[in-house]
Amino acid sequence: MIPANRNKTLYNGLIFMMLGILFFIFFTADLLLGSVIIPVSQVFRVLTFSPEAGEVFRTIIMDFRMPKAITAVFTGAALSLSGLQMQTVFRNPLAGPYVLGISAGASLGVALFVLGFSSVAAIGFFSATGAWSLALVAWAGSFLVMMLVLYVSVRVNDIMTLLILGILFTSAVTSVVSILQYFSSESMLKAFIIWTMGSLGSVTKSQLAVMVPATIAGIILAFFKVKDLNAFLLGEDYARSLGVSIKRSRILIFLSTSLLAGTITAFCGPIGFIGIAVPHICRVLFKTANHLVLVPAVILTGSVVMLVSDIISQLPGMQTTLPINSVTALIGIPVIIWMIVKNRKFASV
Amino acid sequence: MREEKSNIELKQLSVGYGQSGRTTIEVLKNVNLSAASGEMVALIGSNGIGKSTLLRSLAGFQPWFAGDITVGGKSLKELTPGETAKLMCFVSTENVRIPNLSVFDMVAYGRFPYTNWIGMLTTEDKFIVSEAIRKVGLTGFENRSVMHISDGERQRTMIARALAQDTPVVVLDEPTAYLDVSNKYEIFHLLRMLAAEKGKTVVLSTHDLNIALREVDKLWLIAPAGNFQGAPEDAVLSGWLNQLFNNDHIGFDINEGEFFFKKEFRKKVKVEGDGLPLIWTLRALNRKGYQIVMQAKPDFTVHAGDHHWRLSYQNLVKDFVSIYELLAFLEADGKE
Repeated sequence: MIPANRNKTLYNGLIFMMLGILFFIFFTADLLLGSVIIPVSQVFRVLTFSPEAGEVFRTIIMDFRMPKAITAVFTGAALSLSGLQMQTVFRNPLAGPYVLGISAGASLGVALFVLGFSSVAAIGFFSATGAWSLALVAWAGSFLVMMLVLYVSVRVNDIMTLLILGILFTSAVTSVVSILQYFSSESMLKAFIIWTMGSLGSVTKSQLAVMVPATIAGIILAFFKVKDLNAFLLGEDYARSLGVSIKRSRILIFLSTSLLAGTITAFCGPIGFIGIAVPHICRVLFKTANHLVLVPAVILTGSVVMLVSDIISQLPGMQTTLPINSVTALIGIPVIIWMIVKNRKFASV
Repeated sequence: MREEKSNIELKQLSVGYGQSGRTTIEVLKNVNLSAASGEMVALIGSNGIGKSTLLRSLAGFQPWFAGDITVGGKSLKELTPGETAKLMCFVSTENVRIPNLSVFDMVAYGRFPYTNWIGMLTTEDKFIVSEAIRKVGLTGFENRSVMHISDGERQRTMIARALAQDTPVVVLDEPTAYLDVSNKYEIFHLLRMLAAEKGKTVVLSTHDLNIALREVDKLWLIAPAGNFQGAPEDAVLSGWLNQLFNNDHIGFDINEGEFFFKKEFRKKVKVEGDGLPLIWTLRALNRKGYQIVMQAKPDFTVHAGDHHWRLSYQNLVKDFVSIYELLAFLEADGKE
């Protein structure tokens, strides 16, 4: 028994190390690649604040690519972690911030904010206070949907019901947005439409200043709930009989989820399928159900996947970029289909 | 491991469930039941009487309306979930399927109330978990996935988890449901041992009345007329057991100590012979609804011998080599 455990720890450590190396490689690659390909030597000069670094390269890296790479890291980590938390709490392998409509909830908040109060938001959209307000409405929107999903899941705990609810909610948000379009100015409408396409590059430094601490807070909260998350795997009754205060624990986990998914949606738009796919990739990689391993695993794997998506989306060497949403869908959906095909008892989990 | 004699008491308890928010439905009221340590108790009652509601309240899954539940003299009302988890644990009927979770991991969940904030197992915890696995006879299964074990093994895993939680009271909701007969007996024996060796109070609900009557120390019987607690034999002699089913189809055979399905008797039969062939022939005829008579004038007579059955029917005599053939003939004959 004990040697088996030790092997397992060694195995996990090895995978974490490999993921760490991949993280480093792709983070650097994300800085190098883009419409202009920057040589590695220049990147290091910029990063080490060497005086020999070219001014143009410094601007490209420090003002554009670095914030974007950091955004990619936090986006991947936050969405994956929120997906893991939802899959565990709802005991639903297809749960994720996008499919359950949590991202839509955040979008609704943003839509009401951007389109409804466009004159106020017009100035605020890119300022520091604007960033906070944007995050705040997104958090409120996503938390609201979380509670709604919880309300339904307590009554009908059926995977399909929750998914249909997610679809309905997303449609409802789309309708509200199209109604709002009639009452909003053209420029704000354009800003909103671009936002819905999802983008890592449009995140400003002042937005980053909100996104990073909010995401870190969500991650810390998740780490504090690692033990309870493990208990939730057994279902509510067992969790309670193991001594978990269900209500309090669930609220804290939902706070973390809303904080993570809401923040990212507020600044990068709704980004799909990373939240469902990454936890499954990690379960396969680490062969564990223990959240003490899974939480850091999804954070690291999510970052790597998002960095790769970002590299693909900027089509290295070309002038155009792809919307990040399409790239994550193309990466995430095959993983989900593979999960469904591999695990035919999926529906009963 | 635990020295103090703890027991569970339900005092003036009233349970029920809330319906659409405000209105509540009281299912059972004024329930007074108790059990001592080392006792195995079966909660039985007719369907829909509120067994599971009572059990869920007992396990702390839903609040109760009035009265109190105490474990070792402490009221469950005044305890936090964490404290309750050290006094009472629960095994549900739910088939828990978690990918990548081994039997060891599942049993280790029992240490949850005792581990630190990230749930790290100490050497002592690991020892307790291994011991629990050994006690239920699953040594060698530690690294097997809970997805790939049989129903009986899964139930034993869940009992090992309860064992690892090391609480004075263990509550189980139908631990023998979905199991075959030999597994049912094994689970009862395992729980019996748990109660006796570790001095725990084991409370279980069950539909396997015939097994429960032979195995448990005490019955908590919920009937429409009220509640009864006592030895299974007391329940039989005082007639409480007969109240369980208030219909005409099920009866309790006070001699056999078993429930049976009441039938309308068709014909009278007298059976001769001895030993096992006699016993099983009687059973077969009883199953088919023939009334067994000793003195009264029978419609026909069966002599049960070794691999040989002789039917005397008015002036007709016919021989059979199996009970099946005998019954088939009687059935065909009865229709004419």
